[in-house]
Amino acid sequence: MASLELKNVVKRYKSQTVLDDLSLTVADGETLVLFGPSGAGKTVLLRLVAGVIDPDEGKILIGGEDMTDVDAEFRGVGMAFQNFALFPHMTAFDNIASPLEARHSSKGVIKAGVESVAKLLKIDHVLSHKPRALSNGQKQRTALARALIGSPPLLLLDDPLRNVDAKLRFEMRLELPRLLHDRGATVIYVTQDYKEAMALGNRIAVMSQGVIRQLGTPEQIYREPANIEIARLFGDPTINLLDVKPARDAKGIYVGLSNVQVHLAGAFEAAVGRDCVIGLRPEALSFVGEATPGAFPVTVEAETPLNEKIVTLVRTVRGREILVSRPAGAPGQAEGKAHIAVDSKSALLFDHASGERIGANKVVNLRSGEAA
Amino acid sequence: MTAATVQRARPSGFRISKRVLPYLLSLPALLVCIGILIPFLTSVVYSFQRYRLSQPWARQFNWGDNYISFFTDPKFWNTLQVSLLYAGITVVLELLLGLAIAMLLQKRSTLNNFISIMLLMPLMTAPALAALMWKLMTNPGFGVLSYLASLIGLQDFRWASSPSTALLTVVLVDIWVYTPFIMILLLAGLRSLPTQPFEAAALDGVPRSFVFFRITLPMLMPYILTATLFRLLDSIQQFDIIYAMTQGGPGDTLTVFQVEAYLNFFQSTNVGRSAALMIILWAITYFLSNIFIKNWLRLRERARGQA
Amino acid sequence: MEHTSLLERILRGIALTLVVIFFMFPIVWIFMMSFQTNETILRIPPQLVFEPTLANYTALITGKLMTAAGTLDIAFMRNLWNSVFLSVTSVAVALLLGVPAAYAFARHKFRGSEDIAFTLLSFRFAPALLVLLPLTLYFQKLGLANTYFGLIWVYQLICLPLILWIVRGYFEDIPADIEYAYRIGGHSWFATFRKIALPLAGPGIAAAGLLAFIFAWNNFVFALVLASADKQPVTVGALAFITSSGIQYGQISAAIVLSITPTLALALYAQRYLVEGLSLGAVKG
Repeated sequence: MASLELKNVVKRYKSQTVLDDLSLTVADGETLVLFGPSGAGKTVLLRLVAGVIDPDEGKILIGGEDMTDVDAEFRGVGMAFQNFALFPHMTAFDNIASPLEARHSSKGVIKAGVESVAKLLKIDHVLSHKPRALSNGQKQRTALARALIGSPPLLLLDDPLRNVDAKLRFEMRLELPRLLHDRGATVIYVTQDYKEAMALGNRIAVMSQGVIRQLGTPEQIYREPANIEIARLFGDPTINLLDVKPARDAKGIYVGLSNVQVHLAGAFEAAVGRDCVIGLRPEALSFVGEATPGAFPVTVEAETPLNEKIVTLVRTVRGREILVSRPAGAPGQAEGKAHIAVDSKSALLFDHASGERIGANKVVNLRSGEAA
Repeated sequence: MTAATVQRARPSGFRISKRVLPYLLSLPALLVCIGILIPFLTSVVYSFQRYRLSQPWARQFNWGDNYISFFTDPKFWNTLQVSLLYAGITVVLELLLGLAIAMLLQKRSTLNNFISIMLLMPLMTAPALAALMWKLMTNPGFGVLSYLASLIGLQDFRWASSPSTALLTVVLVDIWVYTPFIMILLLAGLRSLPTQPFEAAALDGVPRSFVFFRITLPMLMPYILTATLFRLLDSIQQFDIIYAMTQGGPGDTLTVFQVEAYLNFFQSTNVGRSAALMIILWAITYFLSNIFIKNWLRLRERARGQA
Repeated sequence: MEHTSLLERILRGIALTLVVIFFMFPIVWIFMMSFQTNETILRIPPQLVFEPTLANYTALITGKLMTAAGTLDIAFMRNLWNSVFLSVTSVAVALLLGVPAAYAFARHKFRGSEDIAFTLLSFRFAPALLVLLPLTLYFQKLGLANTYFGLIWVYQLICLPLILWIVRGYFEDIPADIEYAYRIGGHSWFATFRKIALPLAGPGIAAAGLLAFIFAWNNFVFALVLASADKQPVTVGALAFITSSGIQYGQISAAIVLSITPTLALALYAQRYLVEGLSLGAVKG
């Protein structure tokens, strides 16, 4: 009913191309996260779908129907803005009610509708306030309520948690997935926070400079990033990236880390002899005994707790810094000499020049806990 | 979902295309203004014609004659001189006075705010009526200013009716009306300046004259430029005050551009010459307003950036 | 900054006093004259203390001036009415035309919109007579000479650019997202204009309207060129009055007071918008 399809959409501002021949299909009921740095074109894309700006080229189909030339008010979408965009001269009630008023719903229907959505979002006690009397969190919920109230089959959420404090963002990150799922709506969710992207999206579209660089499930994006840039954007602490030149011996393909030959499990034939960058997730590294195969020596420099993990900074023999993370509570490592080993299946190799990933790892499991 | 389907069923009815809408909205305003553009073009045509209302049969194109004759016409040079003199004197004096008053009132206090509101009153007085007020005050028979002048030994001071003091008198009225304009603009500018440089300078014991010339003035410059050009544009076209006060007299002491054009049109009925005068004035103001608009846009951007 | 010496404070006080006297004195004086009889006015030295009389105002309002020589008709109330009618109607028309155009300029960067806006702005700076002189000839041909309609049309030269530029600034200050949000909610552009843009730009529209009113009221040259006695506003009427009545200084003063009071009152009422409006929003911050 409310699938969304963009076909070869181009949007330019003056000489600058903001969206470059972008195509995208979102299935009915799916939550797609648009992820990328600011200026990537995410917000422009949402506005094109909402119909408040027009594409220079291409088509936009909602529910299979061509909506490219249809005005915003006839598209039947709901949208929440990053800056909330509440109507400053109306109460929260009138703000939320405005989409129903546009349909000439009766007073009773409007009242019941506003009250139920306000209750759901826990803002029923501030409905008589004007926006300037609301806290940021209440504004955000009001904006969300206004987007949700008409039960639009297509919901566009433009980084709705950007301008709220950390505590509320955390709460909403837990609350939103269920809320969105219960509605059954198709959702496009824009964010710059990779955790939000991983927590909310059925699929994630990673954008930069007006182009979708990778489209896939959160696991795919995390485990098989298309390039170094994407590998770096997902994961906290960020992925370790080291220059290597893979070689082959009898046991397979290996790279040199701290002068130790570390063998990799993966289809990396193409990488042999090329200048590459190896990507090692901090959680794919662990401290091991010297005798473990593939273990290489490092010096432990410092240890920092980070949320639910502990991150250790180590230095290789050749002086390169590596971050190793372990779940909080796991036994620590004394400062000084130590050895670490790589979970060889999760090592990633990128071409040094282009940044593109080489070969294909198998996706391990479905959604694994440590990914988020 | 059904709701959305209902929604979508509506578009076909009464709709105006997105592309046409902005034109449609601005069209009425544009039409009214086009009605004003036509006479402007007519003026250009007249300025190339020998055209006297008293001799309509002799109307014909004489091309540049109206303009060429200006070179040898002492009346024209007088007009140009008086106009520039008037604009120059009023703008410089108003700028100095306006800046001084703005600095006196810079600190936000109830009294200062009250005074700055009071000073708006001359600016809100119609210039023509202001001229009449000053005309009454400088009346040789009972005018209070004439009386005051006599107290300081200026017996029979003639104000606007004497060629030697007429310019001074109208300049005085202009200053009375328009200094508040510069004052409030500069006051807004002064009050919007960041305080840190001044605090730092005060802490370092920098002399105040240095602070004024090296910090205040440069930072205020965009406001000063805006105010100056705004005033210059108005002042070089001044008509109301001069006409209401002296009708350009005595003699041709005060025949600035617009007054001269008005007199040429209605008294000498020389439409061609009158139009040529206006075209020259327009060229001057066009040149000034281009500088002005550029500067003004920059200032606007800046103010917007701060907001 | 705070090390102001006593001497400096005294000097500042004196300077401010002089400033206030210079700018306030003419208004105070004309006000006082308007309550004096011609005999008191003509007394030398000028009187600070006198017995106030309302005779000047009654003469203006009734339109009849009793003099020793007989009764003189004063048409001043007619001028006052003309001023009110011309200014109010011109501003109303300018708002009706200018506000939608300002909205179009602010919201839709359509082809040529900047050029058109600048052309309109340049009217503000062009010499009035450049347009007025040919217009008198046209108006005579069209039968618009000395009509309210013609005058109101020409008054758009003052009001329209002012309203267009000030209101445009206010519309631009409304975040586009707010309007987008309303439209996405299912409202037409017109509903959005009426329910969102107009209320949010309301103070700006009011300020622009007030300022346009003041400028229209204070205008002199348009009516001088295009109107004859029965359509003239106070600015032109007062000048005619001063030349025709000769020595009726008390009545003239009263006429001037009546003529400047509306704009002064409005100015005081709306003073906080004036800076912005006068500079066409150049110092908005």
